[in-house]
Amino acid sequence: MSRVRRGATGIRRGAVLAGLAALAGVLGASASTSPVQVLQRIAVGGTGQVRALAAGPQAKHVYAAVGEEIRSFDDLGKAASTVKLRGVVTGLAAGAGDTLYAVVRAPARLVILGVRPLHVVTSVALPAGAPSGVFFDSIANQLFVASRSGHSVTRLEPKTGRRLGVARMPGMLAQMAANGRGTLYVVNGARDSLDVVSADKMTLSGQIPLPGCRAPSGLAMDPLGRRLFVGCGNGHALIVDADLGFTFVKLPIQQSDALQMAFAFHPFGPSGWKGGVFIAGGEALHTIRMYAFVHYANGGKLALPGTVSALALNPAAGELWVAIASAAGAGGELLALGQSGMGGAR
Amino acid sequence: MTRLRAMGVCAALAIALVWPAARAALAPWTALKGKTVLLVTGGADSPRPNDDARVARHLRKLGFVVRTVDASAPASDADGASLIVLSSTADAHELGDKYAQAPVPIFTWNTYDYPNLGLTGPVLHRDYEVIDPIQHYADSFAVLYAYGANITSEISRSVGLKPQLFGTLYLEPQTAGWGRPGPGGTVIADFFGSRTHAAVFTYERDATLADGRAAPARRVAFYLGSDDFHLLTAVHGPAARSAHLRSWAIGLKLFDAALRWAISSPPPDPAYDPAALDARIRHVAPGKRVLFVERVHGGEGHRSDAAIVAHLRSLGFTVRVADQMDPQSRARGMSLVIISGTCSKWKLANKYDDVRVPLLSLEGLLSDSLHFTGRERYRDYGEHGELLESDDPPENYLDIVGAWNPMAGGLKPGLVKFTHHPGVLKWAWPLPDATVIATLPGEPREDAIFGYPKGSRMAGGFIAPARRALLPFDNPTFDDLTPQGRALFDSVVLWTIGG
Repeated sequence: MSRVRRGATGIRRGAVLAGLAALAGVLGASASTSPVQVLQRIAVGGTGQVRALAAGPQAKHVYAAVGEEIRSFDDLGKAASTVKLRGVVTGLAAGAGDTLYAVVRAPARLVILGVRPLHVVTSVALPAGAPSGVFFDSIANQLFVASRSGHSVTRLEPKTGRRLGVARMPGMLAQMAANGRGTLYVVNGARDSLDVVSADKMTLSGQIPLPGCRAPSGLAMDPLGRRLFVGCGNGHALIVDADLGFTFVKLPIQQSDALQMAFAFHPFGPSGWKGGVFIAGGEALHTIRMYAFVHYANGGKLALPGTVSALALNPAAGELWVAIASAAGAGGELLALGQSGMGGAR
Repeated sequence: MTRLRAMGVCAALAIALVWPAARAALAPWTALKGKTVLLVTGGADSPRPNDDARVARHLRKLGFVVRTVDASAPASDADGASLIVLSSTADAHELGDKYAQAPVPIFTWNTYDYPNLGLTGPVLHRDYEVIDPIQHYADSFAVLYAYGANITSEISRSVGLKPQLFGTLYLEPQTAGWGRPGPGGTVIADFFGSRTHAAVFTYERDATLADGRAAPARRVAFYLGSDDFHLLTAVHGPAARSAHLRSWAIGLKLFDAALRWAISSPPPDPAYDPAALDARIRHVAPGKRVLFVERVHGGEGHRSDAAIVAHLRSLGFTVRVADQMDPQSRARGMSLVIISGTCSKWKLANKYDDVRVPLLSLEGLLSDSLHFTGRERYRDYGEHGELLESDDPPENYLDIVGAWNPMAGGLKPGLVKFTHHPGVLKWAWPLPDATVIATLPGEPREDAIFGYPKGSRMAGGFIAPARRALLPFDNPTFDDLTPQGRALFDSVVLWTIGG
């Protein structure tokens, strides 16, 4: 790992989005209208690309899945530790406490890790198929693994990985989100809809159509479980009232077949936006500003120096990370993002 | 052979009797596929943002062929179209009245154009209004809600509209329009719980518009603004399992149902044909038992009552006469109850209001006790021509506003001589579930003939257990009826006894 570009004092925990506006000038803000800018570029090292990111449960580290490895980086962007797993890691999720979850494609396994220090606690086989993603609902304390090739989502016991239920779900399963009250939402790119799963029984309880949306892949939900944010491959972001399954806002975003999304309340501190949706995909990071639960507007777009491969947000710590695939031959990069001094969209 | 011919005649009569209702049903979507819709927008002059493109996409998704023109296009562009859709992005002044006489159904949410089409009167804020978040911030929240005003129309039934609130548009303050239709209009949903602030209203073909003309084809007015089509309420996913949410988020369903109604074939024009009417009623009458409630030996009006009873018997009805003081149990086993205008409201008390068989009242002053209308005398119901009891002169004409309905007996829209001599005529202002057939001349709010279908919501939330009708037949001798008056009497009896 080498530091490509670094701020004067590094990145302090909890300050990436809220506290580093002053650094914007130091790092040279672009003419972008985005409320965020790249504060630091961190080379991952080697030739591997980052497939998944997770922000550390205690906000001290960010974890990147690179090939068969999970690498952690501290808040100064320094490589802290590495754990090698038996297979390519396709998904990461921060769990409760000091727990981190990783899913390995082949042999299909869920790996439960501790982060102090980073180590494998246990791993369990995933008989439902090669995992394509893992998601932890921190409010309901529920763990889910999606398998696109296995056409299923499995719910597992967060401490042991014991299988609690499987929902059969054909289609192109992508990002997951949950309302914290026992309902899981999964983007289904093949059906251009959201599959709704009752987590208790792991049964498909319905589908939410996504009007005008083609090949959706990105999904996020507000922590109160009332709004779903969907990123569509044809260049739209939809905002869905989860209570009604009703899409009421459609905004233009970048076109990409692999969007990743995150949402945070007050991403720029208590006096800034009420909420922000971050949509990474292609070579851009789009933002949507929440003014009220029923009122949203385009928050601006930030051009990135490579194609996005992963996104992680730690709203509690105010950390936003994007992994990009660099030019052929070079390894991937991690980008630490912070609030832009331009403040154009505020 | 004779028997077979008789059976054939019976079948034809039966078809003739049910034909209007059968034809009035909503056409299945499959039957509408490929029909051309002319979508009239503001074109390049449209306010931005707007939902015209979304509407066009939606119409195509429903199977229509959509031709979009702007407001300046000639009316002849509608030639060959099965439906004209007028968006509020089109300038109402530019539109003028060019589509007013189009013999093609119109579905419009161009509120400012309502008067040009004759859908409402011409006075802004009184006859129609557009609520928007800039001018009317508080009301722009209020229009997120509307009440189901009519629960028995084809549109209402198809969406399961209930006499309760529903969500019109998604949660932000929105732009929406309302109008006050004329007496021939049907209010489907209203804002503020007021039928004079109709959110969705319709006119059947030949129904009398607010400007007094007859609608050349079906007309639908809908509450939308220019950019809120995509916010018409709907529910999806697990929430759609909730019956409450399904009946709440019906904006889009209502839009589609109203659209479907507009483009569906209206019932055939009933022809004024006393002989055919006579044949129909004679076909229906045998076996039907009518309870005629009157003031027995009452003196005044007795001749008229006797004439009515004789007439009904001559048609083949079995008629039993009850005195106004007889108990309601006299109605048991009857097919129809007719309350004579000779009855004293005071003596009749509240009898027959909940009788489970069809009821025809010839006495307008009973309109409150029978749940036909509200409770304020001379505002909700009243009379013309009664010495010392009415400021209005005697009258013998009616204004036909619901010519399309079988109750109108095939009479054309406009004035019709009801009795030979001016006399007392009663009226009431029924709720939106009633179909109004005739008003008193020059009094669009004073409805003389109307009928509530079974299941209607009547005044005070009362649900009609069977059909209910009013015919202002106070004390004229039956012989004073003109032939048209006689046709109205028979038609109303025929309609009422049918449900």
